Amino acid sequence: MIKDILTMNGYGFYVWLSFAITFFSCIFYYVKTYKELKKYEKEFAKELMELSAINRQKYLDNSKVANQIFLSKSKTI
Amino acid sequence: MLSFFSPSNIFVYLNKVIEFLNSIIFIVLVVALTFALVISPPDYVQGNVVRIMYVHVPAAWISLAIFSIMTFSYIINYIFRIKNLLIINYSIAPIGLLFTALAIITGSVWGKPTWGTWWAWDARLTSMIVLMFFYIALILSLKYLNDERIKLKVTTTLSIIGFINVPIIRYSVDYLNTLHQPTSLKITGTSTIHTSFLLPLFLMLLVFLIYSALIFLMKYKTEIIKMKKKRLKNYD
Repeated sequence: MIKDILTMNGYGFYVWLSFAITFFSCIFYYVKTYKELKKYEKEFAKELMELSAINRQKYLDNSKVANQIFLSKSKTI
Repeated sequence: MLSFFSPSNIFVYLNKVIEFLNSIIFIVLVVALTFALVISPPDYVQGNVVRIMYVHVPAAWISLAIFSIMTFSYIINYIFRIKNLLIINYSIAPIGLLFTALAIITGSVWGKPTWGTWWAWDARLTSMIVLMFFYIALILSLKYLNDERIKLKVTTTLSIIGFINVPIIRYSVDYLNTLHQPTSLKITGTSTIHTSFLLPLFLMLLVFLIYSALIFLMKYKTEIIKMKKKRLKNYD
């Protein structure tokens, strides 16, 4: 049973190669996208923390996005 | 009503949707792979090599669908100037390129045991390569053109010209000389594909769609943060 799945009656190389290329490209691109998102979230939260308290509050009052990132990231900085 | 769809309002819900998609993708993937690699029967002509269809066909469908969505968004944006559509296009273009490349590569791997060659410059294969070049040109324009007006003009023009290629890809197997088999699955008319192949095919399509949605949402979120980061400088 397992041997049949692996060899695919002689077509195993082509079938597994196609699935492996698809799987690994998707994983690679997922990790790259995720890391980029986390990098920008961190940078944004850091820059927000560097603002003076008054300016930061002013910005947070005007931006839902900033609020969300600030809440999730402020603990980790 | 329209303000509900502004990036800031959408942003609030992004994390919840990303978390939900992350929680289901693995389960759907395991079920889809079980059907595609174990349960699904071999084809009576092609044997087990037909299983490549389960990654090749959904990848090709998504690449064409994304290019069509992008062209439609560009046209709408050109008329109504909705900035959110540009962010959406910027976020989905790389997914389209990824799936176009995957459709071409897996098609080439499928071609070797079926046609006896990895590559042939026939209508379907060549038109898919052309689509990939349009994706690359669009992504490079979005990334490296600094003037927003020029960027919008160039990318809109590229997407409209590139869109002419979409029906060529779709109908090349029916009307042009090609090694590629004719369309098996038809929305109108009788499909020539057995239902035992359809279930794994649609399950793999579902996996690819969930994956595309995940990447899109993460990239969209990144773009909004980049935008907000620029505005932050006004508060310095």
